[in-house]
Amino acid sequence: MDAYTIEKKDMKILLKRFQEDYKVFGPIKPGLESKFDEIKSIEQLHLDYISTVLPPKKFFHPPKEAMFSYKIEKGRFTSKEIKQNEKILIIGIHPCDVYALLKLDKLFSGDFKDPYYQNRRKNCVIVALNCVKPSEYSFCSSMNTGPFLDKGYDILLTDIGTKYLIELGTKTGEKLIEGLNLKKATKDNYHEKKRRLETSKKKIKKSMDALKISRIAQKNLHHEVWFDLGECGGVAGSLPCLSCGSCTFVCPTCYCYDVYDTVDFSLKSGTRNRELDSCQLLEYGEVAHGGNFRKDRKDRIRHWMLCKFGVAAGGSNSSCVGCGRCIRVCPSKIDITAVAKAIGGG
Amino acid sequence: MKNDYSPHSAIIKDIIVEAHDTNTYVLEFTDKKFQKDFSWCPGQFMMLSLFGIGESAISISKVGDNGSLYSTIRNVGNVTNSIFNLKKGDFIGIRGPYGLGWPVDKLRDKDVLIVAGGMGIAPFRGLINYIKDSRKNFRRLEILYGARTPEDMIFRYDFKDWRKIKNSNLDLTVDEISIGSRSSCKIGLVTSCFPSMKIHHRNAVALICGPEIMMRYAAKCLETIGFKDEQIYLSLERRMKCGIGKCGHCQVGLKYACKDGPVFNYAEIKQFIHPL
Repeated sequence: MDAYTIEKKDMKILLKRFQEDYKVFGPIKPGLESKFDEIKSIEQLHLDYISTVLPPKKFFHPPKEAMFSYKIEKGRFTSKEIKQNEKILIIGIHPCDVYALLKLDKLFSGDFKDPYYQNRRKNCVIVALNCVKPSEYSFCSSMNTGPFLDKGYDILLTDIGTKYLIELGTKTGEKLIEGLNLKKATKDNYHEKKRRLETSKKKIKKSMDALKISRIAQKNLHHEVWFDLGECGGVAGSLPCLSCGSCTFVCPTCYCYDVYDTVDFSLKSGTRNRELDSCQLLEYGEVAHGGNFRKDRKDRIRHWMLCKFGVAAGGSNSSCVGCGRCIRVCPSKIDITAVAKAIGGG
Repeated sequence: MKNDYSPHSAIIKDIIVEAHDTNTYVLEFTDKKFQKDFSWCPGQFMMLSLFGIGESAISISKVGDNGSLYSTIRNVGNVTNSIFNLKKGDFIGIRGPYGLGWPVDKLRDKDVLIVAGGMGIAPFRGLINYIKDSRKNFRRLEILYGARTPEDMIFRYDFKDWRKIKNSNLDLTVDEISIGSRSSCKIGLVTSCFPSMKIHHRNAVALICGPEIMMRYAAKCLETIGFKDEQIYLSLERRMKCGIGKCGHCQVGLKYACKDGPVFNYAEIKQFIHPL
């Protein structure tokens, strides 16, 4: 497909076009940290961001959402699915987060489909942004999920100095920029993109051998690393895990959720909701009579690490994309790449 | 799009008291066509749903001739407690059936050993009835059922029929018998019945369901008397919120208990259920 360029100062034209049909979300920087939020004017858009605290997963698999509204009358219930049909466009998603969405796409499809996730995904346009400023924690290049993207986008932007290179991935993307009279991309623009990719790659300091670790981790279910991580010691200068669940909350591929009902004051109606759950919390594996299949902290942190190494039930659909958010937020300074190295799969 | 999370309405037709804390609920879908199309296999489970309270994974213990579902429930938690407050004629939500049941085709022309502990007998009831109905397809049937006390045993009214099955044996064990009780149960663990079994491990399949600690121990014991890991199947209990492999709670190693189980081959999950 064709590629174009747009001057950075002209981005408001692009934004205006997006806003005609969609509610636009993108990275903003209200304080020290960046986050994805609604973009109303071009001044808010902060495409120069490094990483957001929460991944764009929150638009598709929100931290909390209502699934059904129900009514109970004379002992009989009626329930109604709560649908979310808002058309949105997310601008500035980094490759790691796009790859995470591609993984979740697979996880929430299959024999049983998740209508809530799929509905939201269907109603969303992805305007991705190649990552020229990887964070000090990221290791996407070794997970093959960045820093540049080759699939999963409708429109792909790359910062090439004073301009953005615009590449199109789908018909939706093509339609969106129709009639904007953008300049066609030249060979030089592509060269610049390639150059930026190389410099970006060089900035990534952390690494993990994705294939090797998944093979090794499964054979090392009883490795002393798990004990160090869970109970005492820590790994590579970290403190032991506190089971706070921060890693699972910021992870773009963590999907586990809890379901609970709320009741209105009338006791006759209410909603059934779901909320992100964390395998690091004690209640996660609890069953009737107080049985718990992951009672020990080391079992829980091991489960999460294995899940991110791709050897839990989610398989490669919930494995790590190397965004580095968990390393950044961990209060114990646990580094997943250091853990991988300690088991022998660095 | 079809919503798999949406429960179907069903009415409680009857409540059978099994023990002081256990009832069997006979459920019929309000949608008669749905009931007619409902197909299941023994060992599968369904999600019982009470709006305002929550959902719970409960096994199907029997499907009646008219298609009514029998689900046997012990009052142990939030949802089951609320189900116990329901009366005949009340409504309840059902999703399912989910999971893979007992490997019935792998039992053909084999000796079948059923080891059940406590509520673990519930998912076996459908299988035992199935074996009874097509007896010639299977060889010897051994049912070992252990409970806390004789009064805690469920499906006691079925025992007479089960004892009548040709070439079979039903052994009952309990932890204790109260003084004055006229029970014929043995005292001890279910595994204490293993030596007197008249099946040969070379051509047998063992199916176990019960508390996890009992299943681990029973599987270990079977290993020592010559059973291979591949000949042993376990039905696992896990926390479940969705039943369709999305919520993540029921993970056992590389599998979801709801979608890839709850019946697993022992060889497949051995390393994940043995505690560290």
